[in-house]
Amino acid sequence: MVSLAATFGRGAMTNHWRDIRNADLILINGANPAEAHPVGFQWFMRAKLDRGARIVHTDPRFTRTSAVADVHLPIRTGTDAAYFGGLINHVLQNNLFHDEYVRNYTNASWIVQEGYGFQDGLFSGYDAGRRTYDISTWAYEGTTAPSQASAGQPQQQVQVSGQSPQGTSLDAFARRDPTLQDPRCVFQLMRQHYARYTPEMVERITGIPRARFLEVARMVGEMGRPDRVMTIVYAVGLTHHTTGSQLIRSGAILQLLLGNIGRPGGGMNAERGHANIQGNTDNAISWEILPGYLRVPAPGQRTLDDYVAQSASRRSDPNSWNFLGANYRKFMVSLLKTWYGDAATAGNQYAFDHLPKPAQNASWMSIYDNALRGRMKGVLLSGMTATSIGPDSNQVMTALGNLEWLVVMDPLPTTSSEFWHAPGVDPATVRTEVFMLPTTHWIEKDGSFVNSGRWMQWKDQVLPPEGQSRHDHWILAELLLRVRRLYQQQGGRHPDPVLQLTMDYADPHRPTLDEIAREVNGRDLATGKRLASFALLRDDGTTTAGNWIYTGFYPESGNLARRRQGIDDPARNDPTGLGHYPNWAWSWPLNRRVLYNRASADLAGRPWDPGRPGIQWDGSRWVGDVPDYPATMSPSDPNAWLPFIMNGEGVGRLFSNSTIDGPFPEHYEPVESPITNPLHPQVSASPVAFLYDRAAGRRNRFGTAKDYPYIATSYRLTEHEHYVTQHVPLLVGLQPEPFVELPVQLAEQRGIRTGDRVRVSSARGRLEVLALVTPRLQPLTVDGRTVYQVGIPIHWGFVGVAADRDPNRGANWLANALTPFVGDANARTPEFKAFLVNVERM
Amino acid sequence: MRNEHFAVSPDWRWYILLYFLLAGIAGGAYVIGALLRLTGVDRTAERVAFLLALPAIVVCPVLLTLDLGSPARFWHMLVNTTPGGGGLNLHPGSPMSVGVWALSLFSVFSLVSFLAALGRPAGVARLMAGRAGTALTVVGAVLGLFVASYTGVLLSVGNEAVWSDTWTLGGLFLASGMSAAAAVVAVAARRRAAAGTERRLAEADGWFALVELLFVVLLFITLAAAGSASTVLAHGWILLWVVVGLGLLPPLLGLARRGMAGAMTAVAPVLVILGVLALRAVIIFSPQG
Amino acid sequence: MTARISPGTAYGFFTDTSICIGCKACEVACKEWNQLPGNAPRFLGDSLDNTGQLDAMNWRHVQFVEQFTPSAPGGGGGRQAWLMMSDVCKHCNQASCMDVCPTGAIIRTEFDTVFIQQDVCNGCRNCISACPFGVIGFHGDTGTVRKCTLCYDRLQAGMQPACAQACPTQSIQFGPLDQLHKRADARLATLHGDGHDRARLYGRDGQVYGGLGAFFLLMDRPETYGLPSAASAVRPGRNNAPGYLGALLGSVLAVLGGLIALRRRNESPGTR
Ligand SMILES: Nc1nc2c(c(=O)[nH]1)N[C@H]1C(S)=C(S)[C@@H](COP(=O)(O)OP(=O)(O)OC[C@H]3O[C@@H](n4cnc5c(=O)[nH]c(N)nc54)[C@H](O)[C@@H]3O)O[C@H]1N2
Ligand SMILES: Nc1nc2c(c(=O)[nH]1)N[C@H]1C(S)=C(S)[C@@H](COP(=O)(O)OP(=O)(O)OC[C@H]3O[C@@H](n4cnc5c(=O)[nH]c(N)nc54)[C@H](O)[C@@H]3O)O[C@H]1N2
Ligand code: SF4
Ligand code: SF4
Ligand code: SF4
Ligand code: SF4
Ligand code: SF4
Ligand SMILES: [Mo]
Repeated sequence: MVSLAATFGRGAMTNHWRDIRNADLILINGANPAEAHPVGFQWFMRAKLDRGARIVHTDPRFTRTSAVADVHLPIRTGTDAAYFGGLINHVLQNNLFHDEYVRNYTNASWIVQEGYGFQDGLFSGYDAGRRTYDISTWAYEGTTAPSQASAGQPQQQVQVSGQSPQGTSLDAFARRDPTLQDPRCVFQLMRQHYARYTPEMVERITGIPRARFLEVARMVGEMGRPDRVMTIVYAVGLTHHTTGSQLIRSGAILQLLLGNIGRPGGGMNAERGHANIQGNTDNAISWEILPGYLRVPAPGQRTLDDYVAQSASRRSDPNSWNFLGANYRKFMVSLLKTWYGDAATAGNQYAFDHLPKPAQNASWMSIYDNALRGRMKGVLLSGMTATSIGPDSNQVMTALGNLEWLVVMDPLPTTSSEFWHAPGVDPATVRTEVFMLPTTHWIEKDGSFVNSGRWMQWKDQVLPPEGQSRHDHWILAELLLRVRRLYQQQGGRHPDPVLQLTMDYADPHRPTLDEIAREVNGRDLATGKRLASFALLRDDGTTTAGNWIYTGFYPESGNLARRRQGIDDPARNDPTGLGHYPNWAWSWPLNRRVLYNRASADLAGRPWDPGRPGIQWDGSRWVGDVPDYPATMSPSDPNAWLPFIMNGEGVGRLFSNSTIDGPFPEHYEPVESPITNPLHPQVSASPVAFLYDRAAGRRNRFGTAKDYPYIATSYRLTEHEHYVTQHVPLLVGLQPEPFVELPVQLAEQRGIRTGDRVRVSSARGRLEVLALVTPRLQPLTVDGRTVYQVGIPIHWGFVGVAADRDPNRGANWLANALTPFVGDANARTPEFKAFLVNVERM
Repeated sequence: MRNEHFAVSPDWRWYILLYFLLAGIAGGAYVIGALLRLTGVDRTAERVAFLLALPAIVVCPVLLTLDLGSPARFWHMLVNTTPGGGGLNLHPGSPMSVGVWALSLFSVFSLVSFLAALGRPAGVARLMAGRAGTALTVVGAVLGLFVASYTGVLLSVGNEAVWSDTWTLGGLFLASGMSAAAAVVAVAARRRAAAGTERRLAEADGWFALVELLFVVLLFITLAAAGSASTVLAHGWILLWVVVGLGLLPPLLGLARRGMAGAMTAVAPVLVILGVLALRAVIIFSPQG
Repeated sequence: MTARISPGTAYGFFTDTSICIGCKACEVACKEWNQLPGNAPRFLGDSLDNTGQLDAMNWRHVQFVEQFTPSAPGGGGGRQAWLMMSDVCKHCNQASCMDVCPTGAIIRTEFDTVFIQQDVCNGCRNCISACPFGVIGFHGDTGTVRKCTLCYDRLQAGMQPACAQACPTQSIQFGPLDQLHKRADARLATLHGDGHDRARLYGRDGQVYGGLGAFFLLMDRPETYGLPSAASAVRPGRNNAPGYLGALLGSVLAVLGGLIALRRRNESPGTR
């Protein structure tokens, strides 16, 4: 998500599921939609069946997606930056990019400061001691401070990196060269950067046979034509790497070059995970953001002004609207009013002081890292199981055992609620007190699911709650009220945030989701009426918005996420015929179905492809999809805004300083890799990946190809949903026992046959499961040698039907016993998808 | 052309094996009884044959029923129980359906002949003594032939490997059934029977064995053509064929060197019956794996 | 999806294996609707299939066929196909199971589908040996044989079959057969156009069992999927006449033999 925001301005799927059927070419990288998104996958099939679209699946394994794709490219895990780099180079070298689009809708013409540079695998400003970059040189000529994305890296890392934002509110405009000739313009720098990614280099790094790569490059090259459009679909096969954000940025850049962003059938589309993970992200599940991707304040930000100045992006072009930056204060003030009500006044900066200003990273792994360091009293896990999620489950279990208390909120027993008596664990040695708070399952509540395409779909309760379970929001409300009572009775440090938090619900102990939904939408405090758009939000404390990007889904007229005008009457409900169904549910922002859709039309407002218009100028207004742009701003207006209204530049970023591991994506090896980086051996892996154990002074837990000769990647099977479906007998029947997939040749060498028990070990732990030998995992020739990749489904553990049937209670069934405890520089996402193992017959 | 088979096993097991054997013996015994009656060479042996047929046949429906998944619904084969349906059930295309009817009718004839052989009730005895009796006996014999043979046709009318690859099973089961029956009658009639009857029965057994041998040959020819001969020879099945051979040997030798037959009468019947049992076992079980 | 479902029309499935993603939603939907708990879980390791076969507990079964011929070191060449096919009762126009059933438990419904009446079947299992596709399974608890009902109960209620409804890619398409035939022909043409020369329709015409109510678009020879080729698709009835004639031949020969042996003749004393 970070990389999308860093490129386009918003961290979300640019298009939506149904829109995939409008594509001519579908690149699937780091995703296995046929297995992980089978229902959404119908739109890939429709594109294939209805318009003869071609599907290219690039994946280390030949999966159920590959089975119905037109081309499957076997790739070494963790090397997509090189693959995309090769495609970008192909497009640049052969001038296959969408020229008009690139010139006008991207920052290709922006001139980059002297001082920026890239050499031997390092960008300018590297600090080897801190393993971070000082990104101040990654800026445009004329701008003093880098403009930043709305969602991006943790604030204080920017501080660490030594770049202190100037207080000046004056926008500094960047110098541009429309001819794209200036050697320091983004376009030329990019050309130079990618020149190294020749088909030979791509083959050497990725293992994709050159001929097959060129075949795909030809298909992709076609897509720069205005009348053609390609979509790139990805998921955690790209995210789960120490280079995750760069892998994704590579794809985003390719799409900008081909002019495929903002267009129906195009986009850089992230398939999200759980049915409502997009909703979670929008609502601050990630530690460094507040609802609506507003930054979590950082130490040193004494005033609201400091905060806004350091968080909001700046205009770097006169024609940039910089919508978010311009309105940042309104959104923040409205949020504070929502939370602290009357206690938030102009006088106290709307209770800005109530917000925590965390001094250190609090991402997923940091939690267990801190527990290991003994800095953590307790943890409350809700709707997930740390033990299974990993990485490095053994270390995570040690961490859980190092707490005073652990609270698990879940409808079902999990490997976390049961970790204290896991196979091989002596309960006596676990000092942690574990509480289980049975919650209702989502199927036992109403509320909304926000899908990958940002569609917020309200659902009703399907089953009545069972036993003593309670709704999560009731449990949390109760917790707050009891803590509040303790503060009232006993006092305590800085009580206001707890005492003054609004709980304006009919029954504060049992808020309804409908009440919360209305609170999220926000209202005008003067009239008391709910607002229909975030455009109406003000920074004078007269409006509220629990999450500004959702403002408008629940106007006075009612909850728009409930709308269901669908395929029963396509003629009426899908006027554009492109599958937007504007009156089905509601999508943020403001029910736009395709983001950045101003870029779907040329400068004059004519659609690039009349057959697939996003929005177009009818002489007086923009018609089609809900415009991601002022509805009546004429293209002929000399001051007309640029299309990417969320970016300070107003255009898409080929060069971006919003990811702290490099303005241009570069291929780095996974932290555990059998080869050293052919591009720059001395800087093989990401120089800024966060090495937790090392930072904490714990012993090194990485292995080398000497002891662990095989590459492993972990993934999902259609038949299971992570760990929870271990409780579902029919699904356990479909995939009854844990197994690993092994290439035929490797199995022969190790004398392993399907059905044998094998031990898969890494520097961190071991897995003891059945072998499934298959030709679907092909050996690759990488940097001149043969490498084998081992496939590890993630779904098993010591809890559930399968474990109950196992004599050893599912001992050594946790896939994450193997994975490395390391995070990518931006989001600190673990490297679940590339690590080294050994395999032996038991 | 090599037949492909993707049908799965109906899991017909021991009940069916025994049923097939007894149906053969019952039908065979009745037919032998009928032949003796027509030739009139030995009233005693004739009576013995009829006395054997009934007990053998009455066990059959029991075995059949026990093999059903829902024994209580045995009668569904005779009466149409489809809702809205009704009347009797006869599906000419289904040997099982036809066979069940034949079995029922044959049981009636067996009973009548049995009673006649017992000599009481006198009415029945008198009835069967006359021309009408002879006529009825012939009809019964025809049913006997059917009951002894249709089981083979039943197997063939399907898509199972081996079974559906040949048309010979009916004849094969009949001939082998008669052979077993002859052996049984011979043993049972031994002391009471008139002079020469034992030799005659042994000779008859010889002829039956000869026909059986002929059908075994035809069986292998047809199976070879269909490419499923290996199925009946694979694994341990070959051993059963040895038993089949041993069962054929005595009657055939007897036929070849008339008179000698008497010599081995002690073991012969046992071998014969084991052979016939083995034959059915290998046919029924080998394709079912 | 499908318009009104009306008795008197022939309904069935067109299963387009070229777009099956092996998700097994059909298997699960069928089990859920028909309350089939399935067999005891067992790792078969037959590609990703652990169901094994159609039987009394599995009325849908997704097959996985891996066809990978080693590709040159360069990666080029070699066939790389992973065929998936959701198998089910074919609802044959000429149903072998029906031919041999002695109780008349197997009927053709008003939707032209083949249905086993659970209250009539007595578990003789003759149909099992007759079904050329190995579809039917015996269920100990009920003492009857069971198979896909083509969701007879749902059709009567105007609902499409559970498996078809669950199929995310519309690999399983339910509808009036004549419509399905048209769609299938069009799809086949496209595939041939794209150079999939092994693609073919199975059971769409009368070649196998007078046409199948559940017909398929296959990406390889029928045998690859455990389906009899048109040549091997023969009806049980074919053996009725030959079988009985064989029996007649046997009878005649045996009776003759019997008569010869048991005939009246004056014993020559020598032999005594
Ligand atoms: N059935 C099922 N569906 C699910 C889930 C589930 O548990 N079960 N989970 C949901 C959740 S939470 C999520 S996040 C999504 C995840 O959805 P996906 O990301 O599609 O799922 P994965 O199987 O984790 O990974 C996808 C593919 O990435 C490939 N891969 C690994 N490394 C690389 C790489 O370096 N490059 C490339 N090109 N490919 C690589 C793997 O081989 C795998 O086939 O699925 C969601 N849907
Ligand atoms: N090696 C490796 N590890 C991975 C991954 C990988 O690809 N490889 N994928 C990672 C990813 S992307 C993800 S998302 C995680 C998934 O890891 P988890 O999120 O832990 O997996 P689930 O089994 O989906 O857990 C969901 C839990 O939520 C509970 N639940 C359901 N409804 C409710 C509710 O209304 N309230 C509450 N409180 N609980 C509820 C369920 O009972 C279940 O226990 O795994 C991560 N770990
Ligand atoms: S499980 Fe739910 S979210 Fe996942 S594919 Fe199926 S319907 Fe969609
Ligand atoms: S497939 Fe088998 S069970 Fe189904 S109708 Fe045809 S013969 Fe009967
Ligand atoms: S098992 Fe039932 S359905 Fe099958 S043939 Fe026998 S009675 Fe008919
Ligand atoms: S039609 Fe109904 S019974 Fe048949 S397979 Fe589909 S769901 Fe199962
Ligand atoms: S539901 Fe459809 S796609 Fe999934 S396995 Fe069944 S037939 Fe194939
Ligand atoms: Mo996820």
